[in-house]
Amino acid sequence: MAPPSLARTRPAEVAVVDLAVCDRCGLCLPLCPPEAIHLGFQDLLVDRQTCTGCRKCVAPCPVGALAMVPNA
Amino acid sequence: MPDLDVLVVGAGPAGSVAAAEAKRAAPELDVLLIERDPIVGAPVRCAEGVGDPGLREFIDPDGAPWASRRITRVIILAPDDTEVKVAWPDIAWILDRTRFDAVLAEQAAAAGAAVRTATEAVSMERTADGRWAVRLRSPGGDETVRAKVVIGADGVETMVGRWAGLDTRVPARDMESCAQYVLDGIDFDPDAIYLQFGDDIAPGGYAWLFPKSERAANVGLGIVALRSDGRNAREYLDDWIARRYPSGAKTGRTVGGVIVHHTARQTHTDGVMICGDAAHMVNPLSGGGIVNAMKSGRLAGRTAAAAICAGDTSAARLAGYHQAWMELLGDAHLKYYRIKQALEDLDDGFFNGLARTVNGIPPHKRTLGRVFAHALVRHPQLIPVAARFFV
Repeated sequence: MAPPSLARTRPAEVAVVDLAVCDRCGLCLPLCPPEAIHLGFQDLLVDRQTCTGCRKCVAPCPVGALAMVPNA
Repeated sequence: MPDLDVLVVGAGPAGSVAAAEAKRAAPELDVLLIERDPIVGAPVRCAEGVGDPGLREFIDPDGAPWASRRITRVIILAPDDTEVKVAWPDIAWILDRTRFDAVLAEQAAAAGAAVRTATEAVSMERTADGRWAVRLRSPGGDETVRAKVVIGADGVETMVGRWAGLDTRVPARDMESCAQYVLDGIDFDPDAIYLQFGDDIAPGGYAWLFPKSERAANVGLGIVALRSDGRNAREYLDDWIARRYPSGAKTGRTVGGVIVHHTARQTHTDGVMICGDAAHMVNPLSGGGIVNAMKSGRLAGRTAAAAICAGDTSAARLAGYHQAWMELLGDAHLKYYRIKQALEDLDDGFFNGLARTVNGIPPHKRTLGRVFAHALVRHPQLIPVAARFFV
């Protein structure tokens, strides 16, 4: 897991998951370089603090449940 | 805090075999197998195809209620729909994974392992005495158990591997994004599996039809998203079905990731082993992983039992697991991986041409070996691929 770094600039966008669409298959977890995605029985979470905005999880989702949003 | 010898996380084929083998190797050990879902084997995230010889090492498929179809032929469809029938060197089976996984878990229980469903591992940390404290969550509440060895058989998302500090990440080019329906009321040869390649059909992967009965089949595909035209896997599949099986009734749907990489560089650490999909033990050419999972589970279960009996569950001791896997199949997967990389550069024109070439071979002589030999003669650009495979 990437160490928390104060030096890292906040990404302009982060990934979010639409839980109404997500099938909890877990495909996106090994694709996430900073391991920001967590899967439990109930839900799938993207940790906004860890996400670097690299988008690597978005296109591979078989059902299009992941999208980028502005990092408010 | 309850003490265990072995905790196995995930009751798929890898986990159930691991739990059974650990208990068989050392019946005095306390072995617990946990499954996150309320029912072992559901939901199914699998095309359910498996080769006969590997399966038979573990369980007899003849007449078994979990064996849906016996397969004797493979029909390959070129991107332009040219059909090629290839003699299959072995028999294959299409399983009913819900029943199959349940039988394997029952075998683990029969061997003496405790099996708990609706129980999820939610965190894990090393204790001062060199064991692992694992937080378990179930409808009854949370509890922490302490285990000498944790076997992570928790699939592509492997949280066990992550908690143990193993690097189980994969590059996007080695992830097949898969979607599948159970289609009912369609026409096909129920003794054959169908595979179709093509950049507009399943870029970087293939589409499949695996019969479940005479009129119903698992119909799905896998794509590498980096090569997609913008559609996701389910959209590619909807388009393929609309073209080939428009009358089919979609009675079940699933999605999932198949890691077509080589075995993870590190599959163990102090008191932890990961196996099956979690350790990327999938054939990177075919995407098949069921028998690989069972074989790795067998190795992990036996290694765990021997290590505990010897009083040494260190990474150095468990390294025997990784080494045994690499000798059994891991090194072969690395070769297949290099072939896969070479094949990625071939285009639809190549496969269309190859299909016509192969159809010139008499059907009874049309084995996979001959197909490959013809491919080399007619398409010399493949020779470096063959060289990498056989060297």
